[in-house]
Amino acid sequence: MSLIHIENLNKHFKVLNRREGLSGAFRDLFSGNYKTVEAVSGISFDIEAGEIVGYIGPNGAGKSTTIKMMTGILQPTSGVIEVNGLVPYYNRIRQAQTMGVVFGQRTQLWWDLPVIESFKILREIYKVDEKIFNQQMEMFNDLVGLKALHMQQVRTLSLGQRMLCDIAASFLHNPKVVFLDEPTIGLDISVKAKIRSLIKKLNTEHKTTIILTTHDLGDVEALCTRIIIIDKGKILYDGDIKKVNALFGAYRTLKLQVDNFNESTLQVLQEKMTSHFGTDKNFTVSQTEEFWTDITFDQALTPLSDVLNFVMKNFSVLDVRIVEISMENVVQKVYDGALG
Amino acid sequence: MRTLGEYIRLYFIIEAQYIKARMQYRADFIISSIGMLFTSLATLGVFWVILQSVPDVAGWSLMEMVFIYAFYMIAISPMQILFDHIWQLRFHVQEGTFLKYYFRPLNMMFYYMSEMFDLKGLIQLVMGIALLIYSSIQLQVDWTILKFVLLLITLFSAALVQIAIIVAASCAAFWVVESYPVLGLAWKLREFAPYPMSIFDGAFRFTFTFLIPIGFVAFYPSQLFLRPEEVHWFVYLSPIIGVGLFSLAYWIWAKGVNSYTGTGS
Ligand SMILES: Nc1ncnc2c1ncn2[C@@H]1O[C@H](COP(=O)(O)OP(=O)(O)O)[C@@H](O)[C@H]1O
Ligand SMILES: [Mg+2]
Repeated sequence: MSLIHIENLNKHFKVLNRREGLSGAFRDLFSGNYKTVEAVSGISFDIEAGEIVGYIGPNGAGKSTTIKMMTGILQPTSGVIEVNGLVPYYNRIRQAQTMGVVFGQRTQLWWDLPVIESFKILREIYKVDEKIFNQQMEMFNDLVGLKALHMQQVRTLSLGQRMLCDIAASFLHNPKVVFLDEPTIGLDISVKAKIRSLIKKLNTEHKTTIILTTHDLGDVEALCTRIIIIDKGKILYDGDIKKVNALFGAYRTLKLQVDNFNESTLQVLQEKMTSHFGTDKNFTVSQTEEFWTDITFDQALTPLSDVLNFVMKNFSVLDVRIVEISMENVVQKVYDGALG
Repeated sequence: MRTLGEYIRLYFIIEAQYIKARMQYRADFIISSIGMLFTSLATLGVFWVILQSVPDVAGWSLMEMVFIYAFYMIAISPMQILFDHIWQLRFHVQEGTFLKYYFRPLNMMFYYMSEMFDLKGLIQLVMGIALLIYSSIQLQVDWTILKFVLLLITLFSAALVQIAIIVAASCAAFWVVESYPVLGLAWKLREFAPYPMSIFDGAFRFTFTFLIPIGFVAFYPSQLFLRPEEVHWFVYLSPIIGVGLFSLAYWIWAKGVNSYTGTGS
């Protein structure tokens, strides 16, 4: 039997369209003017013990909502969900003993207390054996040098340090499964790398099952063998990351700020690029932020320098940034049939 | 599942740490304790001023009023000391930080409330006890073992009534965005608790006795010790009212917790 079993799972939120002002609030109270948000609609998957799965998708895809159902916070609108053979929503306390959760940047440590005291309280909460506790603390120290932070108040930690502590804490009681929701969000590259290596080691240490939510493809590349892509509440892809990697590993997005930007810029750019490089080179021109034009392309087919040269020669460029392909672009490509 | 004993032990472990951390802000503690002291003294001052101009309040003398007020101070202390985190509930709910309370293998109300411990409430408790002793000596209340047990039971029930009212009111945050008025009103109502209910006319007295029974926070139980001959039959129900009301508040809390969906991120 798989550790996590999900079948045709749905979660719909009823959201009130709020009316203006006091009288509006009063009317809302009695005659709801609701719309339904289908945050998760009809997903199914199974996760085996020991797996480390990347659950990825753009903002608002339904990742956190799925995690909230797996951890027993939210009751599904319909469908089957079992973790460890139990329905999470009805067995919250029992499930919590065998789970670890890190949710975004919101720490679960005790804000005013020194780090070590949080771990000691957690030892009491989860009834962790003294000997195992000491072993775990040693391991955390070996992995990220936790001892240096022991006496520091949680509130004084940097975001990265806090994240490392939170992740370590979520493994303290040797849970069967750990949910990490966006553990690298807002962190710079070097801290991200530290967090990734910590997660990797913790997974191998006790064969802990890990579900990792992220919209950073780098995280899944570094950690996961299996990847589940979700968008608009539906699963687009569930399988080996190699296939996805082969497709997107070499993709980069060139972000440009072009002088005299107007409505036709995107189209002109797209046309010029295709006529110069050919139609088979998979160029996508799009816009995700105001004033910035994104060109996404496959480095394996066209060297970055060629693209840069061409753009610089033909347009008056004010600013340039090169970023890894965004989740939104990946999803678009999957929709376009890139994964067959 | 965890036993009550384990919960109490855990509570002490968390609070010991919390107090240690708080002690770093000693000035803050001292100033707010002094503030609390003066608030209590001010109310007693008001009684004194009133009773300088009129001989009694609805037939109750100054010293009897002090007794009722002392009972009130003790009865609301558990709410202030143990349930102080309730004031933050609406922020946690709105900002989504409430989510973390679901992740531990603990009763959620316990875990949530254990995150705050109001030290200065202890000052109020001690003051209340001192005033209760002083006024009952002045009033020549003759304490028997039975009466003392009755005092403990009624104090416990009164504390539950106060806790229940505040917890239930704060749960509005689970369903309404602008929920503060509900809690604010509930908190304001407690100010009527240390007065003889007979000074309120029909509708108010009915409300304070049967609907939002703040009369059970101080006045009615105090009657048992000051003027047992005037006690209404329903005053003897106060333990049931306390436990019943708290159960109701807990049920509302559980409903809120189960229907909370967090914030759309
Ligand atoms: N508590 C909620 N109430 C209403 N809508 C919600 C709530 N939580 C999430 N949503 C909506 O559901 C969708 C999925 O959200 P979420 O699961 O948080 O996405 P992700 O974690 O992938 O960014 C979004 O459109 C979001 O606005
Ligand atoms: Mg999310």
